[in-house]
Amino acid sequence: MPTLLAPGGSREMAAAAVDEGADVVYVGPLGWSRRPAESEMTDDDIKSAIDYAGARGRQVRIVLNTFPSTFEMDDFLAKVQRYADYGCSGFIVTDPGAIALIRRMLPETVIHVSIGSGITNAWDARFYRDLGADMIILPYRWGETEVEQVSRCSDIGLEVFLFETIQTGKICPGKCIMSSYLKYREWLPAEGKGESFGSANRGAKECYRVCQVQWDFTSGSEAAQSLKLRRDARLMLDQLPRMLALGVECFKLSGRERPTPMIRDLVRFYRKVLDGIVDGSRLDMGVYGEDLAVLRSRWIVEKNKRVDNLMSRATPAEVAAPRWGTA
Amino acid sequence: MFELSTNVASPRLLRRGDYSAYDALYLGDFSCQDTPANFSSHPELLAEAVDLVKAQGKKCYLRLYAVPSNHDLDRVRAVIEAAMPLPIDAIEVHNLGVLRMLREMGCSKPVHLGVFGNLYTDATARVVKDYGVTRVYPNPELSLKEAIYIRDHTPIQVLIPVHGKIPLVISETCFILEHAEHRPAEGCGALCSREHWLTRTAGGWSLKDTGRMTLSGSDLCMLEHLEELAAAKLDAFYVQSHGESSEYVAAVGRLYRDGLTRAFSGQPAGDLSAALEELTALAKMGLCNGYYFENAGRRYLGRA
Repeated sequence: MPTLLAPGGSREMAAAAVDEGADVVYVGPLGWSRRPAESEMTDDDIKSAIDYAGARGRQVRIVLNTFPSTFEMDDFLAKVQRYADYGCSGFIVTDPGAIALIRRMLPETVIHVSIGSGITNAWDARFYRDLGADMIILPYRWGETEVEQVSRCSDIGLEVFLFETIQTGKICPGKCIMSSYLKYREWLPAEGKGESFGSANRGAKECYRVCQVQWDFTSGSEAAQSLKLRRDARLMLDQLPRMLALGVECFKLSGRERPTPMIRDLVRFYRKVLDGIVDGSRLDMGVYGEDLAVLRSRWIVEKNKRVDNLMSRATPAEVAAPRWGTA
Repeated sequence: MFELSTNVASPRLLRRGDYSAYDALYLGDFSCQDTPANFSSHPELLAEAVDLVKAQGKKCYLRLYAVPSNHDLDRVRAVIEAAMPLPIDAIEVHNLGVLRMLREMGCSKPVHLGVFGNLYTDATARVVKDYGVTRVYPNPELSLKEAIYIRDHTPIQVLIPVHGKIPLVISETCFILEHAEHRPAEGCGALCSREHWLTRTAGGWSLKDTGRMTLSGSDLCMLEHLEELAAAKLDAFYVQSHGESSEYVAAVGRLYRDGLTRAFSGQPAGDLSAALEELTALAKMGLCNGYYFENAGRRYLGRA
């Protein structure tokens, strides 16, 4: 049976995802999961979410997908132990060293390699399998051919985002630091990381999505092209039966920062779709066309709101020595 | 005492450039397999280039493609096979799958982890050290304090970029080609040989784009901080010169050779105004200090 992995950006959202049929909910601790504070959780809320899911036979996995500073690794590992003691069933992690350390601490826990690890080929899967990871999330760019190649050469579990394959633009999770080059953000007191550094990769709020604002692209004296650096991802549907046939075990719904009612509807939708494929009752994805169109439209509206919100939050970087530097 | 290195993508640049200020050269453009005559994707070019570098008394490192997809791996493997019998001093990898492949191929050469290897922690440095990595180029977001901590607690050598644009993004597809008004009938037409810039429409931000890689608009400049680097006993320094002119490579190398020599011999840096004026003139969007002092990468702090 495939696993439907759903976001828990708040206690309310985590409970809604469980109620609608998510097998596993993922939640992120404040300051450690690359999302704004309002989409992360306190430890008390995480414990509540684990208890709620556990009482209903579901699981919670913890997103610890920042690249921690070398100076905060002890705190990082203390959090891992705390959530394991709460009863979480696994972790979503980016830093290879952190993966190795977690595996050593918790031989039985499930470790997902986060999208931020920047996997690009099947040998990456072997590397992470050797480290002790159980599951890799596959790149947005991968279609069926790549999924088939990796499933043939590694026994690591395969997880895909519920987004269609994207082949163009700057889509480089884990290989992009544009956001912190341009803007830094202060920590909130609630995050308790005042001594640590303010980049998205390291948990100081999230990436500001500078790739999704408008840029002028120029070369020499040619007229500038106005463009974004990447296009929006669309929710996946048509590829689902084939992904299941290729051995994809886990389907991840993004969206901890989306409104809870939207996540509730998406979990309900994908639960129905996946169950219909598995029991053979609905193999024609065309029957979901109208529902999907509405959900895609809602997704884009919320996404645009979020990008605007992120850009408005970013504090401009100050330039202290204008004699040599520039803004 | 210290090593100053830079990068050279192709035989043409190797023959044309003045690399007299440098102790070591990284051969190849790790960002794109299609760069014409790229050492990173043309194994037949390696032997002659290595001879040339060695004849100048320099160390010679080979860069491998940073973001290989499955269909690129045969080509990467061919480059590794060609490099193994040559007197190359180290192979630089960015991709952890390729790192594993190197071990499986029985590569006995030292390995350097490149900038897109995403090295943030000493825990990861220990993991890659087990795969034969002897030098790491930490993610640019790391502060000097963190780089030094990683060096001391792994322990492992760290490469410290001192000048040049900061690699910010690498992608498997070419942004320039995707947006070309007239796409070439065959291949890519090396459209990246012309400079491309991204400027935020609302103003304020500029980045340089080389197709598959986006670089900082401003040039990282650590000229005012070389005494601190020497005092910290850092010993491997790098000028990032991807996409820059031969004149840039020579001038920047000369200024840093002079500055580092002074710093390592305990001489005061003196008045750096003229050198900074020269570096500023070479940098179209000004200078920055990157993330070394725990700030957004584009800030320039100057001497403390």
